[in-house]
Amino acid sequence: MNTVFRLNRRRFLTTSAIVTGAAMLPFSNTLWAATAARKGGTLRISVDQAVGMLNPLLARVNPEYLLSELLYNGLTRLSQDMQAEPDLAQSWTHNEALTEWTFTLRDNLRFHDASACTAKDVAASLQAILDPKTASPGLRNIGPIQSVEALDDLHVKLTTSAPYADLPVSLAYPDAKIVPAAILQGDIARLSREAVGTGPFKLVSFEPERLVVVARNEHFHDPQRPHLDRVEIRVYPDPTAESSALMSGDIDLMLSAQATEFSRLSEASGVTGLRVPSGQFLNINMACDQKPFNDVRVRQALSLCVDRAALVDFVAEGFGTPGNDTPLNAAYRYHSDIALRQANIEQAKKLLADAGYPNGLDIKLVAPDKPSTRTQLGIAVREMAKPAGFNISVETMANSTYLDQVWKKGNFYVGFYNMQPSADAVFSLLYTSNAAWNETRWNNAEFDTAVAAARGTDDPVKRAALYATAQQLMHEQVPSLIPTFFDVLAAQRTYVQGYQLHPRGAVFRLDQAWLDDSAPKRG
Amino acid sequence: MPISIGEFNMRDIFYRLLASPQGLLGSLILLLAVVLVVAGPALAPFDPEAISILARYKAPSLLHWLGTDQLGRDILSRLLIGARATISLSVLATVLAMLLGALLGTASGYLGGRIDEALMRTLDAVMSIPSLLFALLIVSTLGKSDFNAVLAITIAFVPGMARIARSVALAARRQDYVNAAIARGESAAYIVVREMLPNIVAPIIVEATIRVAFAIMLFATLSFLGLGAQPPQPEWGLMVAEARRYFFQAPWMMLMPGLAIAIIAIGFNLLGDGLRDALNPKGQRS
Amino acid sequence: MTAAYLTKRLLLVVYTLLIVSLLVFAITQLLPADAAVTLLGQSATPEALAALRARLGLDQPAWLQFGHWLMAVLHGDLGTSMRNGLPVLGSLVDALGRSLLLAGCSLLLMLLVAIPLGIVAAVRRGRPVDLIIAMLSYIGVSLPEFVTATLLILLFADVWQLLPATGYVPLSENFVEGLRHLILPTLTVSMIMVAHVSRMVRSEMIDVLETDYIRAARLKGLSRRRVLLRHALRNGLLPTITIVALDVGYLLGGIVVVEEIFNIPGIGRELLVAVAARDLPAIQGGVLILAATYCVVNFVADLAYAYLDRRIQYA
Repeated sequence: MNTVFRLNRRRFLTTSAIVTGAAMLPFSNTLWAATAARKGGTLRISVDQAVGMLNPLLARVNPEYLLSELLYNGLTRLSQDMQAEPDLAQSWTHNEALTEWTFTLRDNLRFHDASACTAKDVAASLQAILDPKTASPGLRNIGPIQSVEALDDLHVKLTTSAPYADLPVSLAYPDAKIVPAAILQGDIARLSREAVGTGPFKLVSFEPERLVVVARNEHFHDPQRPHLDRVEIRVYPDPTAESSALMSGDIDLMLSAQATEFSRLSEASGVTGLRVPSGQFLNINMACDQKPFNDVRVRQALSLCVDRAALVDFVAEGFGTPGNDTPLNAAYRYHSDIALRQANIEQAKKLLADAGYPNGLDIKLVAPDKPSTRTQLGIAVREMAKPAGFNISVETMANSTYLDQVWKKGNFYVGFYNMQPSADAVFSLLYTSNAAWNETRWNNAEFDTAVAAARGTDDPVKRAALYATAQQLMHEQVPSLIPTFFDVLAAQRTYVQGYQLHPRGAVFRLDQAWLDDSAPKRG
Repeated sequence: MPISIGEFNMRDIFYRLLASPQGLLGSLILLLAVVLVVAGPALAPFDPEAISILARYKAPSLLHWLGTDQLGRDILSRLLIGARATISLSVLATVLAMLLGALLGTASGYLGGRIDEALMRTLDAVMSIPSLLFALLIVSTLGKSDFNAVLAITIAFVPGMARIARSVALAARRQDYVNAAIARGESAAYIVVREMLPNIVAPIIVEATIRVAFAIMLFATLSFLGLGAQPPQPEWGLMVAEARRYFFQAPWMMLMPGLAIAIIAIGFNLLGDGLRDALNPKGQRS
Repeated sequence: MTAAYLTKRLLLVVYTLLIVSLLVFAITQLLPADAAVTLLGQSATPEALAALRARLGLDQPAWLQFGHWLMAVLHGDLGTSMRNGLPVLGSLVDALGRSLLLAGCSLLLMLLVAIPLGIVAAVRRGRPVDLIIAMLSYIGVSLPEFVTATLLILLFADVWQLLPATGYVPLSENFVEGLRHLILPTLTVSMIMVAHVSRMVRSEMIDVLETDYIRAARLKGLSRRRVLLRHALRNGLLPTITIVALDVGYLLGGIVVVEEIFNIPGIGRELLVAVAARDLPAIQGGVLILAATYCVVNFVADLAYAYLDRRIQYA
């Protein structure tokens, strides 16, 4: 039995790392963690797929984000509650109109090859990301930046094409890392083979399918960090084997744990389960410009078929929160509390009949194979929608085929997204008319206006009201069925300290982690 | 008149088969397989696709004889429905491969000379690609589905079957009845199909029976890699593959279909051995 | 071993490799989605796709791509991987080495276990020992590798905590640890082969033991053991060599699943990943290397077969 879990924001903030098993993790005060931290040791992390891309501007999956965080820095980075924190930039200012932002860099920044990192490198890196030919995933995600200018060695000015309040947050995007201008102007392919960053660690060896090793950067701008001497990233494609490795102590930290392994891991001796509610979600996208989903009644009918609380059990094994057909949940700052939609098969049937399908409807749902929860959701929704007359056939396909043939073009398919750093980020990425990844082609003018207005002001009250409108619109018109949000899950050995699981899912901050005395000594 | 295939008498073979323990056990399991395929869906107590949040991860009990899975679906019902996919598809792949291989191998053996040489060398080349990888390539191209997996397995099996057919055909070619047919002026097609094929049927059937077991395992492995049957199909190999991650919560989810695969595979292996002994009794080895 | 024979074999190898390369290339041309799509994923824009395709040479006509590749291969260059820009030859040869290590250990274990089991079963035919070995063989042959692997990991690594679950430690790095990590994968792979080969050995040995030749030797008064070892064994081994040679093909490519579960970056797994990523040079290179290895192994097997055959004839 699962009672509906209402996630409220305060609860979310205080339970950032729910612990089962052994010791409590010290986490809330970075300063305290730093003074108690012990220097030294090697941390072994397991990841579930290859760390294919060394170039931070092109990183696309979590293990690659992890590696680029170890080797590089951006202007800002995300704190535990999704605010922008200084990284390479120590401070920033902006004009009234929120269109001009000036970032002041630290004065002791050095790349791993001992050359200085200055505003020139920052400008070149951001321009490379904004260049379509680089094909960086960051292109659409670091904000509507019109121009980047290095004012002098320590100051960079960014001009946005429209007022944009979230620029410092969007600059924390995992791909927005600063690389040497010399390499960008020379041979950019070098970045696929070697790492020349400002990060807390330097690259030692790189075998993308098996093992990546980094070692402490003695000249990191903050002499207190990192605490660890060495980090080894090991690839474990099989989750059962990965869990066994953690439980036997071959691995110290599992980057992400599967929901089905989590209970077993949390109960193992010497292992601590990590869990944080997050905005990671699956969305079932319906093409709003094609039959049958161009009729809003059909979309609403489908959304009335699903039992959202049950789906949290089926798809997330209980480690999640129900969704209300908007991509925001309580983990986001501007989440507005709309009553959770309950299943109502009679109403769904009536809506379908009104839309012209009194005898039901046959449709095909495409579910890519990774992660496997996409297929699970498809199957569960299929069963739940049968009584109302939806006859859904689920078709699985390889992710690459899906990207080539279905994504953004298809009629009915399942998407998967990490939590984004802000409400604007997720709305502008997926649901506005000019979104780069406009999966549903919903193209709702009122929604566009609300989102555009909200990003141009930094008044929290105004923003909350505008985002509330946006969420209400999505909830009513259901361009995507979003029934479930997933908690982010991971696991570690008890002797790992200072590591906090981040709800964004793509932020790790391992420069703050350290090993206590009970950690095994490794050579 | 007793029915004959070539030199053998069907009734004798049948009795010899049932007389050996392997033959008997293998035949019984084959019978079970046939029952499952034909009557499986009718025997299923529950709808194999019905999900139920209250019935998740239930251990085997009087209500659910083999327990339920992560979506609350009854495992026994899924096994009974899935038998069709697993058993018939594996048999289909093997039979197709057997027919194609037998035709290819016999024709090659009869024609001899350079054609034979070229054909066999090419088949050897294809055989140097491991069958799993070959299947992987074919499925990636055609799309993931159980039918495409069957196609892939068939193509991977043909060279092996062709080789066996050929070696038997080479021996048969030297027989008198073939020379008589040539002397009569019969066409090559006639000789291959009407005179030679019936006589090489026996060893090929033995090989095919054992191959079915291998096909079942290959099918399951393809499903494990995500290339065979796709969810929510109740194909046995797919059930085992999906159940791996739930092993600690519900071990029966993986053990039941795994056991089913093992039993049917063992059955076909036993049957193949029994057939081999029945067709080639002690003291009559060629 | 005449020069003519060797030349013929060599030409055969070249023919095989050519056919294999053509076949695989043809299939890859039919694959949906190409490397550019898989590399760029959701951040693909039309310009980025076009630029990447030009850089990877994917915009050229198929026959030209194959021609370039063939030319490069003849110069010993297998190209660079589209996924990570590393040279294909180097990484695949490393991967092959690991697969061969696993294959070699499995073969060794298999021979050490299967041959004695087969002999015992043949000699004590019809007795309980034979029956037990037969039952174990049937079970061993009927369990897919991923089932065996899971059960072994659960037993040895989780429940008893005796052996490491997965991972691969190069023997050059740490010999003992390397061996420990190899135990479970080797067991998994050899289980099916042991079952298969022991039955083969058993039936071959039964045949041999029945022949007049053996009966004559026995009548002459040679001790049973001597008869077994000198005559029966050698004759029984010949077909085994053929089986083993055939198995190598399975060992190299078919143990993808074992490599996947135990996280051994062998050539099977490399190919699996390469196909998923549509990494054409890696796919072509991998299949080429596998086929070449298969040919070499077959050749060695043929030589061994001929050598043993001659020895037996002259013995």
